[in-house]
Amino acid sequence: MAIEDYRGDVEMCCRCSACKHIPLQMVKGVEHSYACPSIARYNFHAYSGGGRLLIAKEMLNSGFKYTDKLLDIVYNCQMCGGCDTSCKYAMDMEVLEPIYEFRIRCVETGHTNPALDKVINSLRKQGTMVPGAKGKRAAWAQGMGIKDATKEKVDVYYHVGCLTSYDKDYQKLARATAKILKKAGVDFGIGYENESCCGGRAFQMGYKDDFLKQAKKNMDMLKKAGVKTLVTGCADGYQAFKVLYDKYNLKGDLEVLHITEYLARLIKEGKLKLNKKVNLTVTYHDPCYLGRLGEPWIHWQGKKIPGYKFVFDPPKVYRRGTYGVYEPPREVLKSVPGVKLFEMDRIKEYAWCCGAGGGVNESNPEFAKWTATERIEEAESTGAEAIVTACPWCEKNFNQAIKESGSDLKVYDIVEIVEKAI
Amino acid sequence: MAGNESLVKIFGAKNVLDDAETLEEYSGDFSFVSPVRPRCVVKPKNADEVQKLVKWANDKRTPLVPVSSGSPHFRGDTVPGIGGAVVVDLSGMKKIIRVDRAHRVAMVEPGVTFAELIPAVEKEGLRLNMPLLPRKSKTVIGSMLEREPVVMPKYHWDISDPLACVEVVFGTGDMFRTGQAAGPGTIEEQWAAGGAQKTPYGPGPAAWYRLIQGAQGTMGIVTWASLRCEILPKLEEPFLVGSAELDRLLELVHWLVRMRLVNECFVLNDSNLAAIMARKFPGEYQDIKDTLPPWVLFFNLAGYDYFPEDRVSSQIKGVSDITKRIGLEADKAVGGVSAVEMLKMVKRPSPEPYWKLGGKGACHDIFFITTYDKLEGQIGVMNDVANKSGYPALDMGVYLQPIVQGSNCHCEFNLFYDPQDPVELERVKELSAEAVNCLMATGAFFSRPYDRSARMIINRDAAYVDALNRVKTILDPNHVMNPGKLCF
Amino acid sequence: MALSKDVYKEFEDVVGAENISDDPAIKDAYRSPDLTVILPGSTEEVAAVIKLCNKHKIPYKAQSTGWMLFAPTYDFIFMDLRRMNRIIEINEKNMYAVVEPYVISAELMAELFKRGMICNVKGSGSTCTALAMSGHGHMGMTTSTGDRNDLATEWVTDEGEIVRLGTLGASDEWFCGDGPGPSLRGVYRGGGVITRQATKVYHWPGPSEYPLEGLSPRYTLSKKPSEMNMMVRYFSFPSIGKLIEAELKIGESEIAFELMGFCPSMVSSNITTSNEEDFETLEQFTREVQGPGFMVIIVGNFDEDFAYKKKVLAQIIKETDGESLKAVEDPDAEATLLFQCTRVCASIRETFRAGGMFSSMMVQGQRYDNHVRWLEEAAVLKRELIEKGLVIADDGQQFGWGEEGGHLGHTEIFCRYNPYDEKSSKAVQEWLAKVGKRALDGCFAVPSMGILPVDVIGKRASNYHIWFGKLKEAFDPNGVGENTGFSYVGADTSGVHTSIYQKPEKASPKK
Ligand SMILES: Cc1cc2nc3c(=O)[nH]c(=O)nc-3n(C[C@H](O)[C@H](O)[C@H](O)COP(=O)(O)OP(=O)(O)OC[C@H]3O[C@@H](n4cnc5c(N)ncnc54)[C@H](O)[C@@H]3O)c2cc1C
Ligand code: SF4
Ligand code: SF4
Repeated sequence: MAIEDYRGDVEMCCRCSACKHIPLQMVKGVEHSYACPSIARYNFHAYSGGGRLLIAKEMLNSGFKYTDKLLDIVYNCQMCGGCDTSCKYAMDMEVLEPIYEFRIRCVETGHTNPALDKVINSLRKQGTMVPGAKGKRAAWAQGMGIKDATKEKVDVYYHVGCLTSYDKDYQKLARATAKILKKAGVDFGIGYENESCCGGRAFQMGYKDDFLKQAKKNMDMLKKAGVKTLVTGCADGYQAFKVLYDKYNLKGDLEVLHITEYLARLIKEGKLKLNKKVNLTVTYHDPCYLGRLGEPWIHWQGKKIPGYKFVFDPPKVYRRGTYGVYEPPREVLKSVPGVKLFEMDRIKEYAWCCGAGGGVNESNPEFAKWTATERIEEAESTGAEAIVTACPWCEKNFNQAIKESGSDLKVYDIVEIVEKAI
Repeated sequence: MAGNESLVKIFGAKNVLDDAETLEEYSGDFSFVSPVRPRCVVKPKNADEVQKLVKWANDKRTPLVPVSSGSPHFRGDTVPGIGGAVVVDLSGMKKIIRVDRAHRVAMVEPGVTFAELIPAVEKEGLRLNMPLLPRKSKTVIGSMLEREPVVMPKYHWDISDPLACVEVVFGTGDMFRTGQAAGPGTIEEQWAAGGAQKTPYGPGPAAWYRLIQGAQGTMGIVTWASLRCEILPKLEEPFLVGSAELDRLLELVHWLVRMRLVNECFVLNDSNLAAIMARKFPGEYQDIKDTLPPWVLFFNLAGYDYFPEDRVSSQIKGVSDITKRIGLEADKAVGGVSAVEMLKMVKRPSPEPYWKLGGKGACHDIFFITTYDKLEGQIGVMNDVANKSGYPALDMGVYLQPIVQGSNCHCEFNLFYDPQDPVELERVKELSAEAVNCLMATGAFFSRPYDRSARMIINRDAAYVDALNRVKTILDPNHVMNPGKLCF
Repeated sequence: MALSKDVYKEFEDVVGAENISDDPAIKDAYRSPDLTVILPGSTEEVAAVIKLCNKHKIPYKAQSTGWMLFAPTYDFIFMDLRRMNRIIEINEKNMYAVVEPYVISAELMAELFKRGMICNVKGSGSTCTALAMSGHGHMGMTTSTGDRNDLATEWVTDEGEIVRLGTLGASDEWFCGDGPGPSLRGVYRGGGVITRQATKVYHWPGPSEYPLEGLSPRYTLSKKPSEMNMMVRYFSFPSIGKLIEAELKIGESEIAFELMGFCPSMVSSNITTSNEEDFETLEQFTREVQGPGFMVIIVGNFDEDFAYKKKVLAQIIKETDGESLKAVEDPDAEATLLFQCTRVCASIRETFRAGGMFSSMMVQGQRYDNHVRWLEEAAVLKRELIEKGLVIADDGQQFGWGEEGGHLGHTEIFCRYNPYDEKSSKAVQEWLAKVGKRALDGCFAVPSMGILPVDVIGKRASNYHIWFGKLKEAFDPNGVGENTGFSYVGADTSGVHTSIYQKPEKASPKK
């Protein structure tokens, strides 16, 4: 698919601005009613989901004009899909897909963002998105006795992800995950130095070819290792394996689970017992790529039925954010003795992005921080002591924002809470 | 008739009056504005004559002072602001043009009084949302153009209600119809097409009627107006609630109006309630007053065509939930006043003599718009000013009328006095000027400024006055319409 | 055409570099090649921008939430007011709320619900501005309508003067917008920019927040409407005459929280989550209804009130041979209609989802029965388009709703179609013009804005266009402003206005 294939969708945009807000029914007041960080921060209509479609429509008609401002608009978007869900509350049309395609077109024509180029260069050179990553990917696992899934068969392949592997501050998540899986008696392994970036974030940044390269590489490795079930603690990685690989027909029948799904399953099956009390009031942040964008890909091909209605043969079934991963993380949190969960105003399919998506944490750290700060304020307004997320990128971005704002809010990944409870 | 020949041509000799007695009558009123004798008084019979007159006035640069209600007048707005004016007495235009039950609307000429319109609409099963006991000579149009408060806040959606559309001769001499009446088609053609002259705003983005209302005749002369009417209830159940605690009563008023439980709803102090109910002064007045608590709320429940008893009883339930919560009790009578009697009174104009005049022969009103939370303070301020001037605050009437569905409250102080007593007259005159100043400082909003203080009130905001003057320049470029009033 | 560097700089000095742009990408998103977009953040900035427009004779246009949906035409400075998004005050005791232009109705409603109150929400839906001034809404029976809800108002004129109406000018308070003397509420819709406004709010006996469950796009209520003393029904009638009789009786008996003359297609759009589901449901509804219909929402203040209102409704429906649409009696469908229609969250399902566009003929403020004959004619003409396959085959009907207890109302008929299909678009434009002309010729009403030239309408309506022109001149001597084109009886779009006021010549942008 290319941006041209979404002409019908971009033409459907009625400029209603629903994409700037969470689904209207869920608006709970004058606070926390916005869904799109980009328009909330930059205010010109161009920065909203609908505005992006209007630009696409105009440029499809009269040619692409790559001004600095256009690129500013294009790259100041977290690809969080908030717009997509809100629009599809009422409309039958794609919003995020054309936004992806527009960015891909920018990259393909060489209109890239220098900060993102740097990240991609690192990917190309080192197989990781974490700039300045040094040392071995699985250094964190030293001495833990974790199986190498490329060498021996395991029930579960744990894909650690770039940030968790390389960032010293977040390796704790990998260790916690391994500890929990062990405790539950799971036969699991990791890829050690054969693990490679999932490519999901490269896709978000518009570097489709790099993504495809990574995807193929990963799937080759996984196939060779005979992996049937993949578990990851990274929301971006989860979405890449589960949704994007599927979209590009690379996933095969690999079962992809986010760690929260897997933990919920283990808890339900009685294999994982959480019996230590963790006295903490928390609120849960739904990572975009686990939540609304974690919804399975729907393979559909069809043609618009000629005429005045925007309907297709066969009927098009839209991904509207309904089937993302929302309950498992909540179930896990609720099974931790002592943990009290307070919900924020924006949750599940209409959660506010942490700010790190779409490469914004690299291309515009100030905007990423601004977005995180909004979320932290929202989390604080619930009265919770901690914000819990299920993705290292979110955790890192929140931590950075908190460091500057001086908030007392604690930030955890869900595996850290579970680790405390075993 | 010297000098007025051209007017005689328009109106006929008997409708142009310039005898000394008539001119004297129209030269002043109960207000404190200085009397100015008009040049003559004309009595138009139809819109065509009015239009001719306004054109003539533009030609001759002669001021026109429109007046539709009969005397007595109280607010100075019908007293010429400058000499040489022609008073346009519209009280003879008395046609009730239409009463339309289905659309709940009536259309009348400017001379139609409440006393005349009430039976006409009742015949069709309708009634009016009335001001509180208007004097017998008060016309419906006069009241509406002044944005007078009405007694049923539930049906007072907008401060302009119940006015719907008007036909107006602007100060330029051009004829204009506002709202739905503007067109397409003549009024008769609109009726034939199934329409009624009901929607007030438009045509276009402007709401022309709002510029004519509150203008005290400075923009043009209205030759008919339509007004929304309400349905005659099948069953009514009026109540009174007495209390010494105004804030509690106001809390009750808020909820009654907010939940749209009640039709008529207003608060009077003991002096005003007694003045309304008494037929003999001062004896009966004082007797009634002695039986009353300081404040009395009157409200009325109503049932219409469907199961009226059920409706009223469900509303009684709703009301009693609120009164219980607030700690008040609704009764059929308070002191010597019965709720049923009161209801009878408020459905009609005041009996003669006008209730504001019965006691002492004259009355000066100070009224403004405010909000519930400010009332106690404002009443306190007024009491202080009155007492300080030597006017016993306890003699003063107070009338509180929730309006615009409870988002505002009309507050009115009635200063009864003896016009023959120069000391008393001077006292009321001075005290009222002082009161307006003090009340303004408390946020009292004099939305309809009359009399001597009008200019002072309106001129406080230069940008606002500038904007009004731009409108004035369009509708009355030669300033023939009631010059000297408001900021014009 | 771009502003000269110096002039651009002057505007930039007012709002800051990050709040002004004339980049092509920004302009594309505002759908016009000739704009400089400015995002003022305060009344003072709005006034300063307009003063500059006057100084340089540059025309401007403002937008609150952009629901007018027309691309700006000749305008040069485009003020998007979205940074002005604060609720200034909610006054419970005196039943008003004060908002800036980019507070949307969904936000204000949510705040009001918490306080047991509601406001008028424009039919365009709850992403539309909560400013009182613009528009009519489906809950008009309870929440009044359009121009009748505004109280004190802060208005920046086309010359950049800040005029404060009513109590705002007198005492810096918001409770009244009229006076002293004549009310400038009569003129402010003619131009300038409203920067803050108080709107009347009304009692809401319902929950402080709907107990919603589920995920987008299908939310449900965990409680049945009846458990909250609420009921939604759709009734169809054997004839328009009977429908009107029922509508009048319901209005007069004061039992309806909302009386919305949805045609079946609007009901099915509201409760369905895709086009396919919508059209299937519509087919089912069309089979079930006996004729034209409307939806009623009953809300009880307390148990006895609820019981009484239901009893009266049943009686009226019996007398008028109404039939309830069974599908709506299903508590799930009923609940969906309830929260959808009271929070007005799915208007675009009704209008845009199917074909991408809708075009409407409407009369605002006037009750359905005034124009039903005219609209029935319009419906016949619309069905011809349906038969030719030019517009969406819904049931073709007109609709309307009651306002202020049935004193006023709103009537409308629209065609949904694909705006990129030239034949469809042309057919719809012709239909509108025909229906509009018929409104004038039949002496029914001033047809909705922009369809006929304003002088054609004005001549038939007291020459209001001439008077309006004078108002414009008086308040906008440099011709930089525009008729705001608010959704009002006969309000005009910019395009039409330029034809009689010759705005572009008068105020051609400074080179
Ligand atoms: C699907 C749909 C359904 C609709 N249904 C209804 C309906 O049922 N009832 C109804 O009344 N309308 C309806 N409308 C129209 C819409 O509600 C009105 O146009 C409304 O006034 C738009 O408000 P806005 O602030 O979003 O308008 P904008 O598009 O922002 O502005 C509209 C006009 O007002 C001017 N303007 C905007 N803000 C200001 C301001 N602060 N000060 C001065 N001028 C300003 C603009 O210049 C423009 O000319 C509907 C529209 C759509 C698309
Ligand atoms: S993208 Fe969807 S929600 Fe946004 S403006 Fe367009 S139609 Fe509306
Ligand atoms: S993807 Fe997210 S940031 Fe980008 S336009 Fe949509 S809502 Fe805004």
